[in-house]
Amino acid sequence: MIKLSNLRLSAGSFNLAVDSLNIREGEVFAIIGPNGAGKTTLLNAMALLREPSAGSLEIMGKDALAPANKMFLRRAMSVVFSQPYLTNDTVYDNVALPLKLRGQKDGAAVEEMLELFQISHLSDRNARTLSQGESHRAALARAFVTKPKLVLLDEPFASLDERVKASIARDLRRVLKASNAAVVFVTQDQSGALTLCDTLAVLVNGKILQQGEPQDIVNRPVSAEVADFVGVETILSGKVVSRQDNLCAVAAGVKTLMVVSDCGGGDSVFVCVRPENVSVSLGADAGGRRNNFKSRVVSVAPWGLEYKVELDCGFTLQAAVTKQLVNGLGLKPGGEVYASFKATAAHLIKRIT
Amino acid sequence: MSFIIQGFQKALHLIFSGNAEIFGIARLSLTVSLLATAAAVLAGVPLGSWIAVKRFPLKKLLIALVNTGMGLPPVVAGLVVMLFLARSGPLGFLNWLYTPTGMIIAQFIIAMPIITALSISAMQGVDPRFYQQVLTLGASDWQAIKVCLKEIRLTVLAAVIAGFGRLVAEVGAVMIVGGNIRHQTRMLTTATVMETNMGNFDMAIALGLILLTLSFAVNLALTLIQQKKVLPR
Repeated sequence: MIKLSNLRLSAGSFNLAVDSLNIREGEVFAIIGPNGAGKTTLLNAMALLREPSAGSLEIMGKDALAPANKMFLRRAMSVVFSQPYLTNDTVYDNVALPLKLRGQKDGAAVEEMLELFQISHLSDRNARTLSQGESHRAALARAFVTKPKLVLLDEPFASLDERVKASIARDLRRVLKASNAAVVFVTQDQSGALTLCDTLAVLVNGKILQQGEPQDIVNRPVSAEVADFVGVETILSGKVVSRQDNLCAVAAGVKTLMVVSDCGGGDSVFVCVRPENVSVSLGADAGGRRNNFKSRVVSVAPWGLEYKVELDCGFTLQAAVTKQLVNGLGLKPGGEVYASFKATAAHLIKRIT
Repeated sequence: MSFIIQGFQKALHLIFSGNAEIFGIARLSLTVSLLATAAAVLAGVPLGSWIAVKRFPLKKLLIALVNTGMGLPPVVAGLVVMLFLARSGPLGFLNWLYTPTGMIIAQFIIAMPIITALSISAMQGVDPRFYQQVLTLGASDWQAIKVCLKEIRLTVLAAVIAGFGRLVAEVGAVMIVGGNIRHQTRMLTTATVMETNMGNFDMAIALGLILLTLSFAVNLALTLIQQKKVLPR
């Protein structure tokens, strides 16, 4: 659907440099990255709003950088920004606008979209008088009224509250499933991206550091930057001191950790441990987990539906603990506990020195 | 003092007695200024919009030039148009000097920079992301400009009102290019100047009142159009 190679784009002091990106038909492709990573710039390039300074971009088998193809491709895709950008007209006119721009009139299609996004009752209202959630629904209805083959979403609904967001996302998912369009969306909300996409790419500082299946990236990030962004809370610098089969002993500060990895002896590495993979208990019995450390609780803080517990076990380890367990173990700063995790639950990133 | 009141009385009499000459002058004034405004809108709004949304070298210089044009003295515009239209001038063969067509051209040149400059700033006030959003909906550049113009119609109509206001009140250019010829190129402003110079204050006041009334009527119409889709506060 989209083939992109050696794309270069400069905006002021910022440089986007994407070597290769391949998005298949019907695929849901997420690009995540921190603020200022170039996500929007990349999406704007795909939306043919920004001209790259070098490289090639192919969309639906056509050279997207050729001026002659611009209009055709623009009309084959839809773009939804984080703001709905509706015109000062009725909701109906807003949804009908893309058809009007194509010289078409299709009342049935407009009605269908209003129906799908549950805004039929707002049809005659001026779009400027809608609530935020309703505005986003209208923007989505407008984006899908032309039955696009490709949909680009730029931080969709970033400004909405969770409940509204969830309800719109549900409708969007249903429409996407029925339309079989390829979807590219950029977001800094990694947890949201993970649940939605088939393929994930991590963009940091204008470069794609890793792309692949989301579970793969979450569990085996290729660099400390990616690890940090996909929710690895503990990243320790260390050295592989010995290796038996694929079980590595890694010296990290004063402690030695056991990690299953294909890194070789002597390698400088980062040890990544996701907070949800750390178990906390009062007793010393680790239940077979190879890494078990007596630790002191540094802090306990709410973290989504769970609590995040910072532990000092010779190094700083972050653990996700349920509310029940925090209460059951009586976790509070200064308390002593045992923290353990499996050798397979940690991941090593080889450092390039 | 009494000559002022007398002037007003005579003026009202002149207006309500349906003086044919006065109505002829009023009709010409309105026609010339409206046509010149319309031409300036048709050319200036698209031009200004295009300048606003496109990226090209020396854009800021061009905008500065257009802004300067807003202050173009009507007599200078009139002089230039007269030199071009004069029998020995480059466009002399058209025989447009001392005709309503010549006056329309002169007034068009005065209004064009005003409407263009105000259109540029109105269009530059549109969120670039909104413009991009319209492009992604499948619009060509001109279609996107049209959609945006609809969004900023309040400001665009303000530009039209400013342009028309300038023209209907303008005297220097139409005096030079039109020559204030009776039954041919006499406008409300040029006639007012002439009658004042001749000491016919009642006639001058009558002409002034008609000018104000016409100006109000046109502006009322434009304002009603402008305020049509304004959301209540």
